[in-house]
Amino acid sequence: MNNLVFGKYIPIDSIVHRLDPRAKIVALFVMIVAIFIPKSWWAYLFLAVCLLSIILLAKLKLGFIFKAFKPMMFMMVFLLIVNCLTLKTGYVLISIGTFAIYSDAVFNTLFIVVRLLLMIMLTTCLTATTKPLDLTLGIEYLLSPLKVFHFPAHEVAMMISIALRFIPTIIEETMRIMNSQKSRGVDFEEGKLKEKIQAILSLIVPLFSVAFERAYELADAMEARGYIPGADRTRYRNLEFTFKDGLLILLSFIVLALMILSRIYL
Amino acid sequence: MGIISVKNLTYSYDDKTNAVDGVSFDINKGDYVTIIGHNGSGKSTLAKLIAGLLEAKSGEIYIDELKLNQENIYKIREKLGIVFQNPDNQFIGSTVKDDIAFGLENHRVESSKMQGIIEEYAKRAGLEKYLEKEPTALSGGQKQRVAIAGVLAMHPNIIIFDEATSMLDPKGKEDIKALINELHKDKDFTIVSITHDIEEVLHSDDCIVMNKGKIFDHDLPEKIFSEPEKLRKIDLDIPFDLKIVEEFKNYGLKLKSKTQKEMVEELWQYASKN
Repeated sequence: MNNLVFGKYIPIDSIVHRLDPRAKIVALFVMIVAIFIPKSWWAYLFLAVCLLSIILLAKLKLGFIFKAFKPMMFMMVFLLIVNCLTLKTGYVLISIGTFAIYSDAVFNTLFIVVRLLLMIMLTTCLTATTKPLDLTLGIEYLLSPLKVFHFPAHEVAMMISIALRFIPTIIEETMRIMNSQKSRGVDFEEGKLKEKIQAILSLIVPLFSVAFERAYELADAMEARGYIPGADRTRYRNLEFTFKDGLLILLSFIVLALMILSRIYL
Repeated sequence: MGIISVKNLTYSYDDKTNAVDGVSFDINKGDYVTIIGHNGSGKSTLAKLIAGLLEAKSGEIYIDELKLNQENIYKIREKLGIVFQNPDNQFIGSTVKDDIAFGLENHRVESSKMQGIIEEYAKRAGLEKYLEKEPTALSGGQKQRVAIAGVLAMHPNIIIFDEATSMLDPKGKEDIKALINELHKDKDFTIVSITHDIEEVLHSDDCIVMNKGKIFDHDLPEKIFSEPEKLRKIDLDIPFDLKIVEEFKNYGLKLKSKTQKEMVEELWQYASKN
């Protein structure tokens, strides 16, 4: 299960690992907004260079980040097919009989794919360099103003943290159930639509059962260790906002501003 | 009244059959008590009832003379820790030290004191080298040690091990059993171990045998194992070492030994004489 990267924390020491999770979360959101602004390939190249610099500073292996793209491949191909079938604007790139693929279909798909890939790079970078508990703490701090409106900031943050912590475990469980069902003759790849639905059902039902069982056990373990939702708790880790964290947020806003300018001038 | 006192406890999951049926017993402070029985005999349900994770249909539980109810539940949870079967489903922290800290945070221990407590109990559980590691990346035995360190750090009077060794490999099992024995030597803790490992019972002070939600027997391990036929009626058996003693007895040789080492020495002396 070493191939699972999304949501996985990589415990190494780097400048990015040491940054305050609040700063990283804010920068992530600002950068995600920035990703959706430009229309120019130069702007995307600039964003890619920025992200690669962050990955290098975080001492993460590029292969690790690229592994996170794999699960999105199917979606990207699906998107390309849908766009090729529905978008009929721009100039004709390829024509086969009465069927033609238009430039807008390909370029629009490429834009979406690039945006998606950059977003995955960013989020993988965040989860790989931030411990789930720090992430919880960061989210809780950022959501805490909403407590005025009785918003359960801590509970939401804890839910997110547990969900992230269990992603690799649940994927591992999925693989185990798939292998077990395959050994009993279930074919997940071949067959008619009805057979495929049946095969997927044979995966989903035990997976949900196991997930609920794990959730119950975790809830029991948390309760037995004195966890009370909404109650006051002390902190082992206290967050400290430093100059570097401020600089990260400033840089992310600079990138956002540059993307807005690129949209206007490029 | 013992440190754990259970009186006429009944619990049902479906209102048709009782998973725990009119159970009463007392456990003395500092004792190491094993609870054995088949799957579905009510052992784990009993553990969850004692830990206040399930609410009894009827009956009473007293922990350190405090009655288990909604009012006292959080006071009781400070006195009692539980280690579950599957270590993977117990972790909250992304590193060993964060996971040990989870219980301390819940019990509102001052942040400045946490590091010292974490280091102390990680050392006790033999985890001092693994504080920065991800718990899920450790071996089965080490994972269970993390769960134990998390419980120990809260300094409870009572620790319940709910089949804590059943998912471990032989090495992991031996590790955890050795740690339990070590904890028992200190007499700081009362240990309740729910187990399928009949060999473990030999190391305990007291044993409760459960069958179909009821207490089938409650006595010293030697007494319980002195009547193997009674145990076999409910498809349980005596430990391997005692089976050998039983076989020798069938051939007319009465051995007094309880452990393998004692048995080898006794047999050696017997062979030397004859």
